[in-house]
Amino acid sequence: MKRLALIAASGALALAIAPNGPARAEDKLGAGITMYFQMGGNPGDGATLPRTNGARAAAEALGVTLKEQYSGWQPETMLSQFREALAASPGCVEIMGHPGNEAFAKLVADAEKRGIVITSGNSPLTKLKDQYVANGFGYAGVDLYEGGKLTAQKMIENGKLKKGDKALEYGLRAQAERGKSDQGLYDTLVAAGLQVDYIEISPEVDHDSSLAVPIISAYLLKHPDLKAIGTQHGNVTAFIAKALKDAGKKPGEITVGGIDLSPATIDALKKGYVTVTLDQQLYLQGFLPVMQCVLSKKYGLSGLAINTGAGVVTPGSIGALVPLIDKGIR
Amino acid sequence: MAARESALVRVLRIEGVPITAVLLLLVALCMVFAPEAFLSYRIYMSFLVSFSPLLIMAAGLTLLIAAGEIDLSFPSVVALSGWVLAYCIHEHEAPWLGLILALAAGALVGFLNGVVVARLGIPSIIATLATQFLWGGLTTGFSHGLSYSLGDIDELMVCKLFVDRIGPLPVQCLWALGLTVWLWLVLNRRPFGEHLLFIGDNVKVAGLVGVNTRREKTRAFTLMGVLAAFASVLLTLDNRSFFNTQGAGYLLQVMAAVFIGGTSVFGGKASLVGTAVGAYIIAMAEGGIVAAGVQGFWVRAVEGAVLLAAVIGYRFLQNPEKGLAPVRLLRSKLGSVDR
Repeated sequence: MKRLALIAASGALALAIAPNGPARAEDKLGAGITMYFQMGGNPGDGATLPRTNGARAAAEALGVTLKEQYSGWQPETMLSQFREALAASPGCVEIMGHPGNEAFAKLVADAEKRGIVITSGNSPLTKLKDQYVANGFGYAGVDLYEGGKLTAQKMIENGKLKKGDKALEYGLRAQAERGKSDQGLYDTLVAAGLQVDYIEISPEVDHDSSLAVPIISAYLLKHPDLKAIGTQHGNVTAFIAKALKDAGKKPGEITVGGIDLSPATIDALKKGYVTVTLDQQLYLQGFLPVMQCVLSKKYGLSGLAINTGAGVVTPGSIGALVPLIDKGIR
Repeated sequence: MAARESALVRVLRIEGVPITAVLLLLVALCMVFAPEAFLSYRIYMSFLVSFSPLLIMAAGLTLLIAAGEIDLSFPSVVALSGWVLAYCIHEHEAPWLGLILALAAGALVGFLNGVVVARLGIPSIIATLATQFLWGGLTTGFSHGLSYSLGDIDELMVCKLFVDRIGPLPVQCLWALGLTVWLWLVLNRRPFGEHLLFIGDNVKVAGLVGVNTRREKTRAFTLMGVLAAFASVLLTLDNRSFFNTQGAGYLLQVMAAVFIGGTSVFGGKASLVGTAVGAYIIAMAEGGIVAAGVQGFWVRAVEGAVLLAAVIGYRFLQNPEKGLAPVRLLRSKLGSVDR
């Protein structure tokens, strides 16, 4: 059913951007619709830029007026930005699920009453999606727990990890929804019999992940028999290679599982410091909610839940993706 | 006994001795709890890498705070100058031009901060908060939001000069310490430093006795901009990459390093030795706690407790008589209850 809906939606989109001469702005399918869009981190960071580019491309193709909001991944900022968006009475709003279902419940109920289409991305709001799916409440993002689980499975497989091996998970489990991916990674490593330590990422490291280097280095020196490091933080993934070098580790000596494809992560993949990284296909997380907004607002189509991240990138598969990553698409 | 006590008090009054004693105590504790990590040189070298840009920014901020001002825009200078340098290397293979332009960008931002604060009279906390947003936003716009990986730049002379290793020792820490010594001389031996302390103590009186307060403040802001830009050069070259949130995590860390080091929040009194030791404490705090075996959600709480204990310990060592006053008061109260 979901697949059929996706095909129908894609068909409608294809018609909207078909090459029958340049469409006038007012003729485009989404003309007159204003959409507020929570992009997640900071403008341009590696875990945000492809989403921004995807949303902009869809808005351009469909004639939607896009209003971008950046929260630095802070849940309380996401809530206040949602209030600001509702105050402007737009056609649609895309929200991120990091604050959780309960925090958003009243605000979403109010928006739905006013006929504003709400949809979600990156981090799911399952309860709210189930409640308002008929009004266009969808989800474009990774199934967070499954994403973490997949990363851990590929770490075990590619790193030949075995029962009793020591591992570190450096994550954000304290965050209601986002923490689920770290939980999935942790649970899977534990279930495979690994001894897993957990460290919570501080707000400073969350903002500027180069500050993670001495922390990871210190942990590596304390635990010379460590076999694996896992994280579901894109910018931290980018700096793990530097921490490994500082601690005197060679490529491949430690199995590293991360997320996203920033330039530094690509280098680390090429050199073999990073073993696997979950590819969330962030561009889709920008493109699809805009499409969802237009189709629900215009034709009353219900919400689609699309898992945008079903695979990992390894040192063997990174080469082909580099040109697209350089353009901020992958 | 009295003579021995006074000798101890005299030693503790030497600039930086109390905070150094606190640092040594923390290192000793780390050695006890994590000997595998803290009896190896590697961890200290790793801390020195993150300590270097932190110290350079904290030293610049110490001078500004001494003059009773604050700069909240330096994280954006780190981003802007980092982009300028990375752009010149990535797009034009011109690292020296990048270095000069990065420092010039920092100087320009600092100078404009100085003009807004000293000439237009806008409070520095508001002015530099606004310019933090302005320059951070412009950096994102200039870079189109993209990050740069600088690839293998180890052989560039600019890298060898600023971020190479002498044995295991990161060269950037020598730059940071050298700059701090120079700034100490400026603050304590040159008229500019004297003027800053005078302005921080009482800006009106400083103006009345002939100090050009506007010019000196503008110079201090410009110097801060250049130092933040230089810190950014070290960060960008050592990370071999630029990302436009670069520097965003340093705001509170730099301020903590300055205040832990004993610089007065009200201006007029500053300790660059204290700032240097404070910067090392901040650089090692989280890593040390993690190496000591604290895990999960407790790291942050323990870090806060350690920093609080460090400040209290420092205050006590700096002035043992004053530090013991609450104990004496408690004793006298208990004594009066007993009677």
